[in-house]
Amino acid sequence: MALSQDPLWYKDAIIYQVHVRAFYDSNGDGIGDFVGLAQKLDYLKDLGIDTVWLMPFFPSPLRDDGYDIADYRSVHLNYGTLGDFKAFLDAAHQRGIRVIIEMVLNHTSDQHPWFQESRSSRNNPRRDWYVWSDTDTKFRGTRIIFLDTELSNWAWDPVSKQYYWHRFFSHQPDLNYDNPAVREEMWDVMRFWLAMGVDAFRLDAVPYLIEREGTNCENLPETHAIMKDFRARLDREFPGRMFLAEANQWPSDLRQYFGSGDEFHAAFHFPLMPRMFMGLKLEDRKPITEILQQTPEIPETCQWLLFLRNHDELTLEMVTDMERDYMYDEYARDKSMRLNLGIRRRLAPLLDNDRRRMELMNGILMSLPGTPIIYYGDEIGMGDNVNLGDRNGVRTPMQWDGGWNGGFSSADPEKLYSPLMLNPVYGFQAVNVASQKRFEHSLLSWTKRMVKVRRSTPVFGRGSIEFLYPANHRVLAYVRRWQKETILVVNNVSSAAQAVELDLRPYKGNILIEMFGRNIFPRIGDLPYLLTMGPYQFYWFRLRKI
Amino acid sequence: MAEETILTDDSLRELMNVGEVDILVGVPTYNSANTVGPVVQAIRAGLLKYFPRQRAAIINPDGGSNDATQELVRAASISDMQHAAHPQALRTLHSISTRYEGNPGSAKALYTILAAADLLHPTACAVISADSNVEPDWIPRLLQPVYRDNLDLITPLYRRHKFDGLLVRNVAYPMIRALYRKCVREPYSSEVAFSGRLGSHLLGRDIWSEDMGFSGGELFLTIAAINDSFRIAQVFLGSKDGLDHAPADLVRAMRDTVAPLFSALEHSPPAPASSSECASVPSIGGNAEITLEPRRINRKRLYEMFANGVVELEPVLKVILSPPTLTELQHGATKGEGEFCYSDELWVRTVYEFAASYHKSVISRDHIIQALAPLYRGKIHTFLLTNRDADGAEVEGNVETLCLAFERFKPYLDDLWNGRK
Repeated sequence: MALSQDPLWYKDAIIYQVHVRAFYDSNGDGIGDFVGLAQKLDYLKDLGIDTVWLMPFFPSPLRDDGYDIADYRSVHLNYGTLGDFKAFLDAAHQRGIRVIIEMVLNHTSDQHPWFQESRSSRNNPRRDWYVWSDTDTKFRGTRIIFLDTELSNWAWDPVSKQYYWHRFFSHQPDLNYDNPAVREEMWDVMRFWLAMGVDAFRLDAVPYLIEREGTNCENLPETHAIMKDFRARLDREFPGRMFLAEANQWPSDLRQYFGSGDEFHAAFHFPLMPRMFMGLKLEDRKPITEILQQTPEIPETCQWLLFLRNHDELTLEMVTDMERDYMYDEYARDKSMRLNLGIRRRLAPLLDNDRRRMELMNGILMSLPGTPIIYYGDEIGMGDNVNLGDRNGVRTPMQWDGGWNGGFSSADPEKLYSPLMLNPVYGFQAVNVASQKRFEHSLLSWTKRMVKVRRSTPVFGRGSIEFLYPANHRVLAYVRRWQKETILVVNNVSSAAQAVELDLRPYKGNILIEMFGRNIFPRIGDLPYLLTMGPYQFYWFRLRKI
Repeated sequence: MAEETILTDDSLRELMNVGEVDILVGVPTYNSANTVGPVVQAIRAGLLKYFPRQRAAIINPDGGSNDATQELVRAASISDMQHAAHPQALRTLHSISTRYEGNPGSAKALYTILAAADLLHPTACAVISADSNVEPDWIPRLLQPVYRDNLDLITPLYRRHKFDGLLVRNVAYPMIRALYRKCVREPYSSEVAFSGRLGSHLLGRDIWSEDMGFSGGELFLTIAAINDSFRIAQVFLGSKDGLDHAPADLVRAMRDTVAPLFSALEHSPPAPASSSECASVPSIGGNAEITLEPRRINRKRLYEMFANGVVELEPVLKVILSPPTLTELQHGATKGEGEFCYSDELWVRTVYEFAASYHKSVISRDHIIQALAPLYRGKIHTFLLTNRDADGAEVEGNVETLCLAFERFKPYLDDLWNGRK
């Protein structure tokens, strides 16, 4: 199956996020690898997704789960070889699945040869590939991101006896993007992977590329200029490929990353995600509609990427203090669930393993404007292990079946890169792909149907949105429109049955066709359209004038 | 009345949209546009600040206002329908207005609030008058003891001038205390909070089956809470605005206070005269305070109105009062202002005889209430004179003396009530 030639393919995509390490171990060493991932491509194809986003797989000391890269042009030995990656990439493309890989632009590992050279002496040619200073007082207006572990954005280098700048962990020195040689080198790295066939980059931590005194060193114009230059090169040399911004910012700040369609193709909508969870717990649509009201229009060729959970903590950076307190109290009462400014839990445990809420949240995710991302394992309702450090609790092995190591690996369990989930609720014997494949009404089967319905129309990925604001605030209703197609989405975010009256007069004369069962609902007239909804129920209606 | 519905279909639709709540605040109105705006804004601010996570709603039972009252109430809503972000609010706050049929009256308004509460299942409710000088921080003081501590009725304590709140000090407080054996300083007020339990209990009482035109519905809350052993506390709120001192229309004020008090006696029989001493009610945040700043009040005018009333209303008073009481009053009306003193004992007998006559409907009940107005002026004349130079403690002492007189004469009321006198 060939890849579509549409340059806007990312607008219709459904993305599956996976860590090679966590998906399938083909050689029995306890660690997932590219050969194993390739073997599971048919599963992903069957699930209905068309894009895979891989977490970092480069050589790395793995002190930040691979986001501390020590070599940008190779594959970590744990995961196989460059040849294995190429074989996986080709196999994915043969199935019509595109591949997004990580590109950590902002910083390297302190084990990267570039940094080793840079720190070796102040006269080294690569000295100014990083940001050095005699004092740790520069750029004082810059916040510290990893508050739990870092006291400063400067770290002392005892080798060359200067401070180096790092926005993340101190073992991740920031590259100096004021240096043209760095910019050229990083483009060369990207070109390496693009030439191999990679379809897109998730560009990590992009707001922090440039530092300037007197600013907060985030979202600076110089950073945008660099990204626009990269984008121009991408369009020129590799048309149809995509840049995805990882920038945990407010929508108004994020807007700049789209430029006028000449910077990033897509960006994560970070502030929406916690508000979906907040709205669900409050049983009130207000947090969701308000953040979307504040979301600016973006160029026609650009796209928001939406997600419920990912490999990181459920970030609460983009909420108010009051909202953060509420989220902590409601979703992470146990303090071990908290990390930095967020909550390190998976979807199912966050939602008390409530199937209705998982379905509703996925329904909202799939029907709001943007491209949805499914985090590996969430399609079967995998749990987390907060007893593992950092964010490793949400990065445990994929649970394929109820057998040895959950079907993930043939290694001795002690050799696995991470303990499997073993508890009676979320353990691999209770939650796994094989058992859920057997049942038509399993979460996995439901997810497949949901993906299929979502993919049946381009409206969700490309269409406009108009909120209906029924007086019942527990009902989130909106109309999605694209060209001649109109879809009405109605979500009951409460735990109780609701009646709601919708003002559908602009659509008078249409009948509603429920998209999952294809049943017909009454024709829209002059009166408010009354719907009754069960707890956490949602409807997707296609409007047809027949 | 209970067989019918006080909630219109539109009201029901609005309540349906509100859904279950944790806190419900009622603001009864009738042509209250001049005052209701700041009241609902203060309530909203209090809810947002002190109950940000709770599901709350404001409900306005309106008696048929033809000004902008209902629009002002609705403007306090917080929702995404207004297309303006409210980052200070976690959730939607509905502020709805519902118009009840018939003449405006606080009992009907309270009934509407209780009916709404019955559908919305709040843990804690409050009723705030549309002309209250409520501050945002009064909201948690009233509601927290109910919401958090499971109390059932919270009545307010105020910092008041010694010459404010005279109907309460001279009639309502001492009479409730004497008859129901609970020291509730503000047995009905413009700010009160109660539990959903108490609301449901009161809603189920038969009192709503009669003419709903009466006022003072909040008094029924207090008496029901006392009589049926609900948990009561008083909370100090702060300074009570002078809106209610020297009411422009005394007869109306008495209709709103004394009439419901007399009516309540019929629905909620007082404690037997032999029952134990008056029980104190816990106070939260301090006790009532009295301020003493000088205030000019025309006592002479009060006395003249008393004396004229005694003369002009003699045929009516003859029907209501016992001969000895009437004779004493007539004597006082001829003494002249300087000599006149309306003793506590005479005042208690007067009030009890009026209450019994109201019970027996010896004449139109409204005429009975109207007839009490000039006598009350006489009592106030004496109160002002007695307390002219009194400090707070002395004023309290005098009120206490009056309360004891009400208690002492309780058997007298029992005899009157049962027709033995």
